[in-house]
Amino acid sequence: MEQQETRQVTFHGEGAKLFGIYIVNILLTIVTFGLYYPWARAALLKYLYEESEFEGSRFTFHGTGKEMFIGFIKAIGIFLGLYCILFGGVATRNVTIMMIAVAVFYIGFLLLIPIAIHGALRYRTSRSSWRGIHFGYRGDRKEFLNMFVIGAIITLITFGIYGAWLVIEIRKYIFKNLRFGNITFSYEGEGGAFFWLNVKGYFLSLLTLGIYSFWWVKDLFAYYVNNIRMYQGETRLTFRSTATAGGYFKLILVNMLIIVLSLGLATPWAIVRTMQFVFSNIHIDGPLDVNAIVQTEADYTDATGEDLADMIDIGLV
Amino acid sequence: MYNYSVRYHDGRLSIAHDATLTLMPDHWLIHYRDPSGELTSVRWTLPGIVTDENFSNLFIFRYGDFPQQTIECKEESLPATLKKRYPEKVFFKRRITNIFKLNNATIVGVALAVLMLMGLGYWFGLPWLAGAVASRFPVSTEVEMGDTMYDNMIQAYDVDDQLTAATNDFVKSIDFKTHYPIRITVVKEKEVNAFALPGGRIVVFDGILRKMKTKEELAALLAHEVSHVHYRHSLRNIFRSLGGYLFLSVLVNDINGIVTVLADNSNMLANLTYSRELESEADQKAMAVFQADGLDLQGFVDLFTTLKNEHEDVANLKLLSTHPLTGDRLRAAEEMAKRQKAVREDVALERKWERIEEDLE
Repeated sequence: MEQQETRQVTFHGEGAKLFGIYIVNILLTIVTFGLYYPWARAALLKYLYEESEFEGSRFTFHGTGKEMFIGFIKAIGIFLGLYCILFGGVATRNVTIMMIAVAVFYIGFLLLIPIAIHGALRYRTSRSSWRGIHFGYRGDRKEFLNMFVIGAIITLITFGIYGAWLVIEIRKYIFKNLRFGNITFSYEGEGGAFFWLNVKGYFLSLLTLGIYSFWWVKDLFAYYVNNIRMYQGETRLTFRSTATAGGYFKLILVNMLIIVLSLGLATPWAIVRTMQFVFSNIHIDGPLDVNAIVQTEADYTDATGEDLADMIDIGLV
Repeated sequence: MYNYSVRYHDGRLSIAHDATLTLMPDHWLIHYRDPSGELTSVRWTLPGIVTDENFSNLFIFRYGDFPQQTIECKEESLPATLKKRYPEKVFFKRRITNIFKLNNATIVGVALAVLMLMGLGYWFGLPWLAGAVASRFPVSTEVEMGDTMYDNMIQAYDVDDQLTAATNDFVKSIDFKTHYPIRITVVKEKEVNAFALPGGRIVVFDGILRKMKTKEELAALLAHEVSHVHYRHSLRNIFRSLGGYLFLSVLVNDINGIVTVLADNSNMLANLTYSRELESEADQKAMAVFQADGLDLQGFVDLFTTLKNEHEDVANLKLLSTHPLTGDRLRAAEEMAKRQKAVREDVALERKWERIEEDLE
């Protein structure tokens, strides 16, 4: 039998460099009363991308703070608006108005989450490239919103049980719509299996006073990674996790020590360790022609004005 | 000397070509052999070339409309040559982020200096800012805010109406030298405690009244709390902790919960030391009121003795107490009392105190 081809993304970032970026970001964010945030985010992402390597080439993040600023301001405006409604309602001391305000607040948040996820995905993928080939996300906002809201309501009615299925549905939808040039993806997980994985993890962690939680995290990571498929034409590639519970234990324990003992200052080193851990434990198996990926995605800036509203990048790495 | 080896991506396919870049007077020439062995060349005119800003020492240039062509070059001499060859075009802007291209020791040094500055801002700048903001806060809004806080919290207590009336009557006989409407509420609570809300509301636990022996002791307590109101200490505390919270949450942004909890607690500790300064300030103002009104400063000595006896059993916790060490306050009060000259015996106040004592029984 032929030796299986396998590839990995490697992370070359250094804690010290990330620390520098981190400190400058914090300082400028404070001095500008938070307005620098989009630029800070762009700098951080730029650095993390350019230290990530695949087949001898680095990834690139093309996004700029300027682009994200409008989305950022809009997001802040909506948040402020929602909070104003909430506090305004509470201030009236009228029970009916208060109830309505609280309802509007939560419904607003419920709608905001999928919109933000959609916007961030669309923006982030369009601004990510490797060897000049751009990523892309072709999901439809309305479709995603419907799926999310209906799923959230069912989750509420079923006291959270449906949550496992919802997470899988969301992953399936996102991967189905993810593009890297002419490469497509899919997610093969199933709600039932994911649900029992969580039930098992939860109760065993309780029984073992948390010791099992490292196996649980490992299983969750594996369930995420192992179910990703990548297609180049007729060729199917699989993702494989090699993370172990022991590896997770070491990662989490040492990171906690680093962060706590340095009062949070050494967090960038912990981030670097995490990135290295994650990337080094993901293998992409199968014959991939790394020279034949064709550019397919259009430039996002050419999109209509409506899409500008999506130019937001929230804190999901 | 104008030839550099680069990697070239054409923007249509993910293949990486090992190419040669030649810097011509008004354009760049990129030539490479494509997979079939054919020699191919690409021409980039100067105005369309964009430098990719990054943190590493890999020089990346893009060209044209989407999908852009890209070249990557690792040769360190490139920026200097570009500057010489094309003096009119700026390829590498001076940017603050260029410090990230320096060595790691320099970065850490710069970062630590910045951190120290932030620390100074947190310890000295923030309290000053909180005071500045608090002092510009309109009194009417402050009273309104205090009353709302009062309405919300008083429900948790059992108010003693008789003692409340008697104590408010007592307050009328003392000139606290403040423009705030002072309103006292006495609640049935065993604990030896009292506190002030913004805008003139003061809550006194009857537990502390029961420990008191003289009218001056009560007057001292009230004068102290009124000073908190007068100097807007609660407001300053609120702004201080809000500002500190904001500051720290920005600082530990994107970090897991442990640090946030740590940060919260350290912020609380900082607030406590801040409170000690405010307590001393309130003591001083309260004693000044006593001196102006001719009240016996012995009241403070007695009050602090009562407090000291009360908290003796929890002496170990004093470090974390919001009030300055009672021993220190006691000594300061004794000092002041010794130097006090004119003491006036206020008969009306004495009668009002007797009424409170009666009500307590």
